[in-house]
Amino acid sequence: MQRALQVAPPRWALSAFARMRSLWQRWFLWLILAVLVSALLVTVVWLAGRHEVEQVQATLDRDTADAVSDLRIGLQRNAQSLRATQAAGLDRTHWPEAAASLLREHREWLRLEWRDAALRPLQAVNTPYRTRLIDDESRGADQSDVGLACAAARKLGAPAYSPSHYVPILGGGGVEVMELCVPIDAGGFLVASYSLRDTLTELVGPTLTRGQEVAFTEADGTRLVALGTSRRTGTRVFTSQQLIDLPGAALMLRVDGWRAAPDLFPNVLTALVTAISIALVSVLALLARDTRRRLRAERDLADALAFRKAMEDSVITGLRARDLQGRITYVNPAFCEMVGFSPEELMAGSGESIEAPYWPTELAHEYQQRQARRLAGGMPPREGFESVFMRKDGTRFPVLIFEAPLINAHRVQTGWMSAFIDISEQRRIEELSRASQERLQASARLATVGEMASLLSHELTQPLAAIASYATGSLNMLGPHAKGEQAEVAMAVRRIAEQADRAGQVIRSVHDFVRRRDRTREAVAPQALIDAVLPLVRLQARKLGVSIEVALEDGLPKAMCDRTLVEQVLLNLARNGMQAMDAADGATGRLLRLRVARVVAVGGPGGEEARRWLEFSVADVGCGISEEVAGRLFTPFFTTRPDGMGLGLSLCRTVVEQHGGVLMFEPNIPRGTVFRFTLPST
Amino acid sequence: MQPLIDGLIFIVDDDASVREALAWLLRSRRLESEHFASAEAFEQRLAEGPLPEQPLCLLLDVRMPGTSGLVLFDRLAERGVLDAMPVIFLTGHADVPTAVDAVKRGAFDFCEKPFSDNALVDRIEQALGASLRALEVQRARKSLAGRVAELTDRERDVMRLVVEGLPNKLIADQLAISVRTVEVHRARVFDKMEVKSAVELANRLRDL
Repeated sequence: MQRALQVAPPRWALSAFARMRSLWQRWFLWLILAVLVSALLVTVVWLAGRHEVEQVQATLDRDTADAVSDLRIGLQRNAQSLRATQAAGLDRTHWPEAAASLLREHREWLRLEWRDAALRPLQAVNTPYRTRLIDDESRGADQSDVGLACAAARKLGAPAYSPSHYVPILGGGGVEVMELCVPIDAGGFLVASYSLRDTLTELVGPTLTRGQEVAFTEADGTRLVALGTSRRTGTRVFTSQQLIDLPGAALMLRVDGWRAAPDLFPNVLTALVTAISIALVSVLALLARDTRRRLRAERDLADALAFRKAMEDSVITGLRARDLQGRITYVNPAFCEMVGFSPEELMAGSGESIEAPYWPTELAHEYQQRQARRLAGGMPPREGFESVFMRKDGTRFPVLIFEAPLINAHRVQTGWMSAFIDISEQRRIEELSRASQERLQASARLATVGEMASLLSHELTQPLAAIASYATGSLNMLGPHAKGEQAEVAMAVRRIAEQADRAGQVIRSVHDFVRRRDRTREAVAPQALIDAVLPLVRLQARKLGVSIEVALEDGLPKAMCDRTLVEQVLLNLARNGMQAMDAADGATGRLLRLRVARVVAVGGPGGEEARRWLEFSVADVGCGISEEVAGRLFTPFFTTRPDGMGLGLSLCRTVVEQHGGVLMFEPNIPRGTVFRFTLPST
Repeated sequence: MQPLIDGLIFIVDDDASVREALAWLLRSRRLESEHFASAEAFEQRLAEGPLPEQPLCLLLDVRMPGTSGLVLFDRLAERGVLDAMPVIFLTGHADVPTAVDAVKRGAFDFCEKPFSDNALVDRIEQALGASLRALEVQRARKSLAGRVAELTDRERDVMRLVVEGLPNKLIADQLAISVRTVEVHRARVFDKMEVKSAVELANRLRDL
C-alpha cells in the first residue's frame, strides 16, 4: 500500500495537480498583463518625476549661473567705481569724502582704505550703515589678507581679492569679510572690505534669494554665509553650485531649493496613465468575457449541431432537400438506407438530368410532371401524398411524402424539403388486419348461413315429419294386404312417404355441407378469443362513443371450443350491447364490459362428471330488455331492429348449446343487460 | 290389429302438426298417446298425478321455445323415472350431436325427423317393452316383498339358511329344532314363495 502510494501519486493528487496547472495557465497571462501594466505605470510615473526633477534642477542651475554672472558684473563694477576715485588724483582731503559717498552707495562694503605701496594705511573710511566693527589697529601693514590681495593685485596690475576671513564683532558673532585690493596708478592701493553677507544681499537678485537658500561656500564646501535658510519647507532639496572665479580668490555660490508635494503635472500624468491603464484592463477583461461568451456560444453551437446531426442520423424518416432546380442538396442516412443509394450517388446523379435514381422507370414521367409543377410554384398537399420509390436493386416500395418549401434566414425560398416514410410495413399490417377482418366477416357470414340452414331444416323437417307420419299411419291402416284400388292408394301413400324422406335427405345434405366444421374443438385461451374480436368491437365502439372494459381473471384455463363460432357469439353479443346503448338516450357513460371468469356450478345440462366451465359475460348499460321482448328473444327471425335478420341471438344460443353450455341474460344493475354464456374448459 | 303392448305414449313437441301426425301414426298401430305443446305443460301433467301403471314412453322434441327438451330430460333423470318411462328424442338433423349426448346420458334413443316408415313406431314399441319389463320387475319385486312379509319369523330364518345352501340337518342344529320341524317350515316357505326348489328361491330373492 505504502509502496503503491509512493510509486504512483493518488488520483486525487493528480487531478488536483492538473486543476492547478490549468488554473495556472489560465491566470498566467493575466498575471503577466497585470505586471506589465503596473511596470508601465511605475515607469511612466518615475519618468514623470524625473522629468520634473530635471526641470527644477535646470531652472536652478540657470538661476545660479545668472546670479554668478550678476555677482561678477557687480564686483567688476564696484572695482571700477573704486578705481575711479583716484582718477583725478589722490589727496588727503578729498578722498575721504569720495570714499564716504561710495560707501553710501555700496552697502556691501564695510570699509575703504588707502594704503601706500608698503601697505601702510594712509586713510580709512568705515561704512555709515554699521557700527564700527573693524578697528584701525587690527588693520596694519602686516595684515595677511590684505597683503595676499595686494600682492596678487600688484602681480596682475588689476584689482584682486583675498580669501574670506572671519572678523569677530565685539560682543559675540562676526562677519565673513573678503578684501578687494585695487592698485593705484601713483603707487599704493585702495582696499575695500566686502561683507560677504551683504554682497549676497546687494548683488544677487532678490528673486533668487526669495525661493531658496543662497550661500557662499569655500571650494571645499564649507559654508561661509547663507541667505534664506529659514525657507527650508520642502522635503526634497535641489542643489546647484557654481564657482565664482575671482582674481586671487575662489568662491562657490551654492543655491539650495526645496520642493514640497509633487507638482500638478506628474499628478495629472499619473492619473491619466492610471485611468488609461484601468481602461485598458477593463477593455481586456471585457474582451476576455466576450471571448468566453463566444467560446460558450461556439460550444453550444457545436452541441446543437452535433445534436441535430445525431437527430438526422437517428430518425427513421427519410429527409431530402432539393434546390429550386430540383437538384438534391442533402439526404439523411435514413433516406439513403430507404432507397439503397449512397449520398454521393444521389447528389451526383442529379447533375444535369432532373431524373432521380430512385424513381421507378415506369412512373418517371409522372414524377417529372409533379416536379415541374413544384418548380412552377405549386404547393404540395399539407397532409402529404403517397408515392412509390425504387430501391437500388429495383424493388418498389410505397412511401408517404411530405413536402414543404425550404426558406432561408432571409425569407427567400431556396428549395424544397421533403420527408419520406416507408409505409410498406404499415401496408403489410393493414393488409393483414384487413385479411383477418375479412376472415372474421366471412366466418360470420358462414355462421349465419349455417344458422339459416339449421333453422330452415328445422322448420322444414317439422312438416316433413308430419307428412311422413301421416303417410306411414295411412299405410298401417291400409294394411299389408290391400287389394285393388286400395293397393293403388297404398302405393301412392308409400310414394308420398318416400318423397318426404327424399326431401329430408336433401335438407340433410345441404345442412351437412354448411355445418361440416360443427364439431371441431380446440383449446383456446380466453384472452385469444377476446383479442380476436376486440379490433372489430373497438371499431364500432369508436363510432358510437362506447368505451370498452375487458376483465379476465388470472390464470384462466383454456376453453374447448370452435374458435370461429365462439368469436361470432362474442361479436354478436358485443354488437347487440353497443346497439342497445346507442338506442338508449345519452351519449355519456357508455361502457361495454367483457368478462371471463371461472364458474364451479354447472349452469348447463351437466353430466355426473365435474367439468370445469368458463363463464363469458357481456354487460351493457343500454336500454335493457322488456318482458315482452324477453319471451321471444331467442326465437329465430325475431328482431327489434328494422335491418336485423333476427338470427344473431338464435345463432349464439345454438353455438353455445352445441358446446354444451348455456346462454342466459339478466338485467344489469342499474340499467342495461348482461348476457352470460358458459363454455367447457380444458 | 291388436297392439303388442297396451302402452301410453306422451308426445312433447311445440309443433301442433307434428304432434297430430304422430298421434295419427300411433293410432294406426293401435297405440294410445297423449300430447303436450311444451315441456312446461308436460311437467304440469306430472305434477297433477302419478303416472299410470302401464308401459310408458316419452317422445321429446329437442328444440323448443322455453324449457328445451334436454333440460326436461335432465329433470326427469333426476326424478329417476327413466326406467319406467324411456325417452326417445325427436330431433332435426342439426341437433343430432346433442341427441347423441343425451343417449349417452341415459335416453332410450333418438329419432331424426322426418321419420321414415315404421322405424319410429318400432322403437317406440321396444321402449314400451322396456317399460313393461321394468314394470314387471317392479311388480314382481312388490309381490315378492309381499310374500316375504307373509312369512313367520321362524320361516324367514329357515329361508335365509336354505338360501345360504345349508342342509336341513345343519339348519336344525343351528336353530335348535328338530329336522322334522325344519322340513315342515321349508315346505311352507316353498309353498308361500311359489317356488319348487331352493335354487329357484335363491334366484327370486336375488331380484329383491
